[in-house]
Amino acid sequence: MGSVERVGDGVYRVEANGKMELVYVAGPPNDRWVFWNGHVFRGDFGPSTAGRHVPTEPSKQSLTAPMPATVVAIHVRPGDRVTRGQVVMLLEAMKMELPVRAPGDGVVSAVHCAKGDLVQADAVLLELDA
Amino acid sequence: MGGVIRRLLIANRGEIALRIIRACRELGIESVAVHSDADAHAPHVAAADHAVAIGAAPAAESYLSIPRLLDAARRSGADAVHPGYGFLSENPAFARACGEAGVTFVGPPPDVMARLGSKIEARQVAGQAGAPIVPGETPADQTDAGVQTAIERVGLPALIKASAGGGGRGMRVVRAGGEIAAAVQAARREASAAFGDGTLYVERLIEGAHHVEIQIFADDHGSVVHLFERDCSVQRRHQKVIEESPSPVLTPALRERMTGAAVAIARAAGYRNAGTVEFLVKGDAFYFLEVNARLQVEHPVTELVTSLDLVRAQLLAAAGERLPWRQPDVQQRGHAIEARVYAEDPAQGFLPQAGPLLLYREPRLPGVRIDSGVVEGGTVSIHYDPLLAKVIAAAETRDLAIARLASALRGFPILGIRTNIPYLLRIVEHPHFRGGSIDTGFLDREGAAFAEAETAIPPHVREAALAHSISNPQSAGGTPKWDPWNA
Repeated sequence: MGSVERVGDGVYRVEANGKMELVYVAGPPNDRWVFWNGHVFRGDFGPSTAGRHVPTEPSKQSLTAPMPATVVAIHVRPGDRVTRGQVVMLLEAMKMELPVRAPGDGVVSAVHCAKGDLVQADAVLLELDA
Repeated sequence: MGGVIRRLLIANRGEIALRIIRACRELGIESVAVHSDADAHAPHVAAADHAVAIGAAPAAESYLSIPRLLDAARRSGADAVHPGYGFLSENPAFARACGEAGVTFVGPPPDVMARLGSKIEARQVAGQAGAPIVPGETPADQTDAGVQTAIERVGLPALIKASAGGGGRGMRVVRAGGEIAAAVQAARREASAAFGDGTLYVERLIEGAHHVEIQIFADDHGSVVHLFERDCSVQRRHQKVIEESPSPVLTPALRERMTGAAVAIARAAGYRNAGTVEFLVKGDAFYFLEVNARLQVEHPVTELVTSLDLVRAQLLAAAGERLPWRQPDVQQRGHAIEARVYAEDPAQGFLPQAGPLLLYREPRLPGVRIDSGVVEGGTVSIHYDPLLAKVIAAAETRDLAIARLASALRGFPILGIRTNIPYLLRIVEHPHFRGGSIDTGFLDREGAAFAEAETAIPPHVREAALAHSISNPQSAGGTPKWDPWNA
């Protein structure tokens, strides 16, 4: 493996196979962003946690907002039975509709938002009992 | 009409506002930016000579508010308004209100805009001008049942579109009768939200076609010229992704017929200023789609291939002057190609991304132009279109222009939010794209592989990532403290 030289704010020259390449790095160690030659990698690349990537699988039991958004419609109520893939809620962000689908079969145990609400990224919208 | 423009209000934001502000600077016109509360520190505000706050973050309360924009024009002493694209750019009521307030609107007259904005009337105009048209209609009965009946008349597969809009918003494809009801309702909701008008239009879907549009320009003195074509066949769900000129599918004879039809349509419509006549091309046949009565997102492609300045010409034409060129002056030289860089995650169904730009460095390369509206350290808001930048490359040949575009995308690091740059690179490296044969359905049929997440980080790249953590734990972003509601 070749040398790594810092050449600017977040910019590194790396030698690989006799060629010099630029790698751009930003973010904290546990959620690092890396750009190289049109590719983007995100995660924790530290030696002790090699291979661990940050965005973890959402819980199978709760549905969370993928990004800050407005709740446009809620199609289910607590007690409703839903099937995997069913659209349970419609969000809107950046003028686009984002359907929220049930990750598995189950019964809606709680709804934590209302039509018209602005929800934050990762806010729990709805809970399911399998 | 017109009169010399001394102070121009730009009723828009992002990259197009910056593009227009630069044109003002070159022409010695004072620029007035407007901004929502969310955009108080946006680059277009910093770049303009004057800035006026026009309201809250939601576009309906700021960039889409006619009274607030007119009030901003009055308060700032602007004598003209450029609407950019999107927002109120094709809203005849806004153009009319500008005229009534004694402010020059940079665009076609409101009655022409209204006529072309109605898909029915636009098709009548095209028909009168002798251009072929696709079967379609705006149902007089806009109920679910009425739209369904219209779809059955037009025939399946069909497209449902927002009568008032463009850009893929409120657009749905229907292939089977059972899909119609849900598609109509979704299209209407999106159309209402995006354009404030839920009126729907239905049209027969021509599959396997290429999208080729002709740039036209007209002045108050009877001059109408075309600036050749742009091929926008690389589309994902009817949203343009890559545009280029010349089109790889036009023969000189077909180009001649299409540019002739576009000029005839502009004349029949009494058009003024910059506009785009969109066509579908299949084999030797072409069909009129619609007229976009404004400057297009992809106008730089035409600027690079003709070496002409479209925004400058818009301002001259709006001031009642003659177009700066006659038809024989307009030449198509070499090849230009544009890729739209969006804040979206292809691996998550192209989910729009909002968040901080921890690192954002535009490439500087010969023959490459970047039109952008963001800066490093800025924040991409959830409130507006996720377009971050346009990368436009020009060279002698199509192959060289594509190579330049790929090189620019490989050297355009954006960190902190996901973008479609890896996706764009996979498209431009694909043999069908290289061969120039792809149609408007290509990405939706075969693009899934382009959207897949990256594979594992190569060892030497990981080493750089680790070097950053060792030597510079604080630089280029510690823990991001980003709050979208206060950003």
